[in-house]
Amino acid sequence: MLHRASLLLLLLAGCAFGRQDVNEPIEDAALRTFAPGKTTAAEVVGKLGAPTEVVQLGRRSAYRYDATRTKSTILFLGIVNFANQDARQDRVWLFFDDKDVLLHYGATLSTHRTQYALPWEDVHEPEDHAARDAARKESGR
Amino acid sequence: MSRAARSLGAALLVATLPACITGSYERVRLQEPVRETDLAGLTPGQSALGECLQRLGAPWRVLEYDVDVDGNSGAALLWTWRDAAGWGLKAEYGDESVSGSVSYDAVAAEQPACMLWFDHHLVLQRWRLGTAGDLMPRRQRPAPFADDAGARP
Repeated sequence: MLHRASLLLLLLAGCAFGRQDVNEPIEDAALRTFAPGKTTAAEVVGKLGAPTEVVQLGRRSAYRYDATRTKSTILFLGIVNFANQDARQDRVWLFFDDKDVLLHYGATLSTHRTQYALPWEDVHEPEDHAARDAARKESGR
Repeated sequence: MSRAARSLGAALLVATLPACITGSYERVRLQEPVRETDLAGLTPGQSALGECLQRLGAPWRVLEYDVDVDGNSGAALLWTWRDAAGWGLKAEYGDESVSGSVSYDAVAAEQPACMLWFDHHLVLQRWRLGTAGDLMPRRQRPAPFADDAGARP
């Protein structure tokens, strides 16, 4: 009976992987050309394209650019499933003064850190990130 | 097994035959968390927006904050992330006349967040850790349009 149940479980088992990308990853090289106090909003838009969002901050404004990568893993075991979803973003916020000159910008580039994993697996450890960061740097993106 | 237990088991089996019940263990990992060690290096009244962005990276959202009559404004920056796991249960039933489904998801709980408030000079006023729902201002209806003379239509 136990063998039959195990066989049935094996027949019902399966797994699936999914990846979803929203927008192109943001290029670090483009960001490094921006200089607070000099770069204008028009120059930023010329390099990065249309922002995802523009927020009015009184007379100032802030532009958001982002890209999202989501990796999903599902293990099907008949009536019980195990699923993991991992999502990371490249995200940049640029702050402009009332004359549309760049004041400050902040960037988080981590779409390349997204991983396929099962729920009980530990990912996003510092050494893991370091290896992926180095690979992205090498690829020039 | 007693006769009553066998009857109950049989009744449950018959009742669930046309239904599909699935359990799932799900983990969701979203975005990079803000560490308290990064926040500890920030000084309200001193740290400028640029320094905060360098330490914490780009926020999830930026909001207008403390707007005065002259049009000057501060800013509120929100970071949010999640690493949560939990069990969920989904029951679906369907035949030609009746169909329906019920699901329970323990993962969709509160989302950790951190908010930083900046004054009109974009210098840090304060910061707070909490949940996104607590820290985000309540949604408001947009103000009605006013023309140059200040008259409302």
